[in-house]
Amino acid sequence: MTDSPPRIDTLQSIELAEGVEIRLRIAGPYVRSFAYAIDLMIQLGIFIGLAMITSVVGIALGQNVGQGVLLLGMFILHWFYQILFEAGKKGASPGKRAMGLRVVDQSGIPISFGQSFLRNMLRGVDALPGFYGIGLFSCFASKKFQRLGDMAANTLVIYERPFTQRVSALPPALEAIAPTMPLEREEQAAILDFKNRAGQWSEARQLELSDHASELTKSEGREGLAKLLAIAKWLNDRK
Amino acid sequence: MQGREFEMKNASRWAEYELLLNELEAGGRRSKSAAAAKLPKLFRELCSDLAIARYRMYDLALCERLNGLVIRGHKLLYLRPAGAWIKVLQFFVIDFPTIVRSEWRLLIIATLAFLLPGIAILVPALLGNDLSWVQAVLGVEGMRSMDSMYGSADDQIANLREQHGSNFMMFCFYIFNNVGIDFRLYAGGLLAGLGSLFFIVYNGLFFGAAVAYIHLACDKTAFYSFVAGHSAPELVAMVIAGMGGLRLGLGFLNPGRKTRIRSLVESAKASLPLIYGAAAMTFFAAIIEGFWSAQPVEPEIKYAVGVFMWSVTLMYFLVMGRRFHAAR
Repeated sequence: MTDSPPRIDTLQSIELAEGVEIRLRIAGPYVRSFAYAIDLMIQLGIFIGLAMITSVVGIALGQNVGQGVLLLGMFILHWFYQILFEAGKKGASPGKRAMGLRVVDQSGIPISFGQSFLRNMLRGVDALPGFYGIGLFSCFASKKFQRLGDMAANTLVIYERPFTQRVSALPPALEAIAPTMPLEREEQAAILDFKNRAGQWSEARQLELSDHASELTKSEGREGLAKLLAIAKWLNDRK
Repeated sequence: MQGREFEMKNASRWAEYELLLNELEAGGRRSKSAAAAKLPKLFRELCSDLAIARYRMYDLALCERLNGLVIRGHKLLYLRPAGAWIKVLQFFVIDFPTIVRSEWRLLIIATLAFLLPGIAILVPALLGNDLSWVQAVLGVEGMRSMDSMYGSADDQIANLREQHGSNFMMFCFYIFNNVGIDFRLYAGGLLAGLGSLFFIVYNGLFFGAAVAYIHLACDKTAFYSFVAGHSAPELVAMVIAGMGGLRLGLGFLNPGRKTRIRSLVESAKASLPLIYGAAAMTFFAAIIEGFWSAQPVEPEIKYAVGVFMWSVTLMYFLVMGRRFHAAR
């Protein structure tokens, strides 16, 4: 895991046993709260359905039997709804699936039953003192948007599909200019990314961003943008 | 090599890999093995492609695509194997009692946290024939339900069970209620162990007050013959659930030389068998409580069953799994 320069995106780099890094996109409390709301609705729906079925069963087999089945159903629904779904093959409750989320181990692999049990058993503590106060606080306090249950179970909630960057390159510059100073790998990558994505921004935005590199281009505004694109061409041709 | 060239050179391999992923992700248990055998090799190749693409700084779209492909393969390759029944058996025969024994310090703490408050309220009440503290703990509702369950031989709990299906209903209720209490007791441990401790002490107080109230105001035989059978697994399970919570909280409180989070993760993992076992025991207790405890049987027989259950429970934790553990 690389800790060096602090990133401002929510990508979590994880190094696999195969010696390569994958980048998982971690989901924050906003999207997770929607997933939770969907799950609550589904649970409510199941409960209503179960109540109707058991009342019919109650007529056939006796009121007590129906009531017992309902209690059992409530127990399973309350304690095991999330656990069973998240420990399952998809690694996500229906609400999370609907929002495109999945729960994984910190190392990126699917979670075990034990991890699912822990993170959901401890959900009640995260929900304290109301509206997931502790969980929210812990999400914001941790770098990886983990609530306490996630920390204890060593899990992350990530987006199922990695983020796909929309690409729309500007027409390449006519001439290539070598940068005036040595550039780090990350900096080179940033310049190339800028060239590849600049086409989807307004001109004002392009200029605003290219001005950040004025130290490199030694100029600002349109001239700076042109020079930055020329450097991008130089970097691109060379590789 | 330009990114485009790299992409063209490897496109067919990536396409093959992606087809394989689609096939494996779609499921269908049969045709899998032949396809699955190809996965590791293709996956490793993709990993090295991704590393190369990143190192050469090929454009973002290409890297993202490879990143996505590697993540999908990784997810498939590292699926957890399905649990086997043998594991469940091993858990109850060896692991669970062994772990309870190895956590004997927590066992003592949790037991005392339950018993001492109970005794503290029970003994003075019985000696002084004074119900004021007991009444304060039980409250009006608590006393009323004690009266309705164990008030006298006429309105004791067994009489409510003559209706068809009521045993089953009570069994379900005990699972809903008692296993739920275990789970809450355990989860409270995350608050530095204080939540668990609070629930154990609270239960101990309530338990002591209930016994005192029944001794002074209700039918003792009705109470003891009802609780005899299921008391052993239920009470011991509650204490063990509390142990699990304390283990969780201690990992947070006392990380030793590990980081706090690392320590919490490890102690959480270590606490899992305790709550699994406690939940299973409470489930077992609910079966007894639902289908046996309220049967109209002579109290002497019920007491005998109770003594039997207590000795089985104690023997289970004292002896079970010792040999296997030593052999490892």
